[in-house]
Amino acid sequence: MLDVLGNLGGGFATALQPINIAFLLIGVTLGLVIGVLPGLGGTSGVAILLPISVVVARGDIAGANSTTAVILLCGIYWGALFGGVITSILFNIPGEPWAVVLLFDGFPLAKRKGKPGLALTSSFLSSFVGAFIATVLFTFFAQWIADKALSFGPPELFAVFVLSFTTLVGLGAESPIKAIAMLALGLLLAAVGFDTLTGSQRMNFGNIQLLAGIGFVPVTIGLFGIGEILASAEEQGIGYMERISARLGFKDLFEALGALRQRLWLVVSNSVIGFLFGVLPGHGATAASFLGYGLARQYAKDKSEFGKGEISGIMGPQATADAAGVASLVPMITLGVPGSPTSAVIMAGLFVWGLQPGPLLFIQHQDFVWGLIASIYLGHLFTFLICLAAVPLLASIMRIPYAIITPFIITISIIGSYSLNNSMLDVAFTIIFGLVGYWLRKMKYPLAPLVVALVLGDSTERELRKSLIAGQGSIGIFFSSPLATIMWVLAIVILLLPVLRMLRARMTGPSVRPPAPAG
Amino acid sequence: MGTAAAIVLIAAVAMFDSRGVFTTLPGTSPGDVGPSWYPFWAAALMGVAAVFVGYRTMVTPQPAEGAFATRESVTSVLKLVIPMFLYAFSFKWLGFYLATIVYMGFFAAYLGRYRWWGVLAAATLTPLAIYLLFEVAFRLILPKSIFYTMGFPL
Repeated sequence: MLDVLGNLGGGFATALQPINIAFLLIGVTLGLVIGVLPGLGGTSGVAILLPISVVVARGDIAGANSTTAVILLCGIYWGALFGGVITSILFNIPGEPWAVVLLFDGFPLAKRKGKPGLALTSSFLSSFVGAFIATVLFTFFAQWIADKALSFGPPELFAVFVLSFTTLVGLGAESPIKAIAMLALGLLLAAVGFDTLTGSQRMNFGNIQLLAGIGFVPVTIGLFGIGEILASAEEQGIGYMERISARLGFKDLFEALGALRQRLWLVVSNSVIGFLFGVLPGHGATAASFLGYGLARQYAKDKSEFGKGEISGIMGPQATADAAGVASLVPMITLGVPGSPTSAVIMAGLFVWGLQPGPLLFIQHQDFVWGLIASIYLGHLFTFLICLAAVPLLASIMRIPYAIITPFIITISIIGSYSLNNSMLDVAFTIIFGLVGYWLRKMKYPLAPLVVALVLGDSTERELRKSLIAGQGSIGIFFSSPLATIMWVLAIVILLLPVLRMLRARMTGPSVRPPAPAG
Repeated sequence: MGTAAAIVLIAAVAMFDSRGVFTTLPGTSPGDVGPSWYPFWAAALMGVAAVFVGYRTMVTPQPAEGAFATRESVTSVLKLVIPMFLYAFSFKWLGFYLATIVYMGFFAAYLGRYRWWGVLAAATLTPLAIYLLFEVAFRLILPKSIFYTMGFPL
């Protein structure tokens, strides 16, 4: 306990350095802007700025290092977690997938009940509380998880990867079969280039440039950045948007605080559940937000107000989503397994900066880990305060004409992908995967399994083959420890969940299915 | 159905490329499955999943599969895709900055229908901001045009 507090103190000393504070502020502000823009998500925002983080991490700016870079990227994520709700509440257009759930009660509270200020402050306040509770849990349990993870060998690590893949398929995916296809596509793309164990060429079809493999950064920028823009161009076009003017006053803040006090149990319990859900590899804030909404409805005595502007319908999902967003960093930092697509992109950053996510990170790069944890507290505090102060300004971003903002985002995406290796091939990958991402989204193929498998594909294969070499080819090695066996059993159970759901649905007849999580 | 068929095709190509899975390559450690095993079985899994998706689509046709909602939605997407392709292709000759000036200017004029000064501002301010951010602040050199060697600054 004292160790943790001591480490956290050291983390605050790192995070409070002027350069880190400056980049945290830049990150959360950019994240808020990205969150407000419907064409751009938190994942794509982090992916687009990944090349800039490389420059920051290598120390080209005085005083900056890899901790500054991760603070910048995480700042974008925290900003986007808050910012995505603004357009949901004010314009009935979700800025982020996890803000879709706020269309149910956020917009009605703002429009029908004429309380946009209360809707926004309720959302920001519950986001802040959810993130704070999750960060406290992160602070005290991350080291414990990392210590346990140190005893992992190749069979256990392979089981962790398999478990993370099965959670992507078994929990939340609208079509588990499509999720499997995307997962396998990600694994296949990760295999392009040199085989890391034998040095053999594979899947490059004689192309020398492909020997370096397909980078996950250009692919992710394409899938999420360009893909989302094309999808929103098709879905929304350049049409009329219903808008509500928003000003926040102290009255709104006090009213939201009163509402929070009445719903404290809901917000706290949803935050804890959001944290536990987010720790599961492969999950992000979106699935958690729907879970949080369901729980809020479940707890409510009067369910009739849901869908008409019920504050619990805002606070419940927001606390859960933000807690899950913070928690998604836990498996990334402690096990090297990303908890969400956004944390997969942040993990890609760690690799590019020369860091190896996983249990050894806590030993070899203590400053980095604790600086990051401390920055989560500061990041959410800054985001909360900026949100309260800057809502009218952020809402005005929506008024930047389509003819300016869209080519600007595409330009930034293309430069971001080019500047990583000064390679036009990466630009081509970004554009190709932009079209692929748009089409897959349209055909309702989930993109998260593809990205997670692309990022983890190499490590998964390495641990699989190291295990087999250690076991002389016997598959018994995968069940050689109780921990690995438990994870295999869990993986199989999770993989069978969709089958069980289908059987149950057949037995009980047709039922209304909640909206499927996207990220 | 078309998407599933495309995935099956990719899987077939990948499996053909990884056909070495059935032979033991020299230098492979005892117990190791070799370099082709992983891509082969990943492709096989992908192919089987896509066949299943295709079968389900055939049995219960999905309304969204293979069709755009309206003619306008296709136009909206093409309005973005075609200029994006031309923009990326033009890097080789125009370099990043000239291409961006043309690209941003085109959107401002064509989609925004701004007056000349609006088009000029949109076309020049973005490349200027990117120049200051990337080349001045972060020292990342972006591609220049074929005129650069003749003394043109961009």
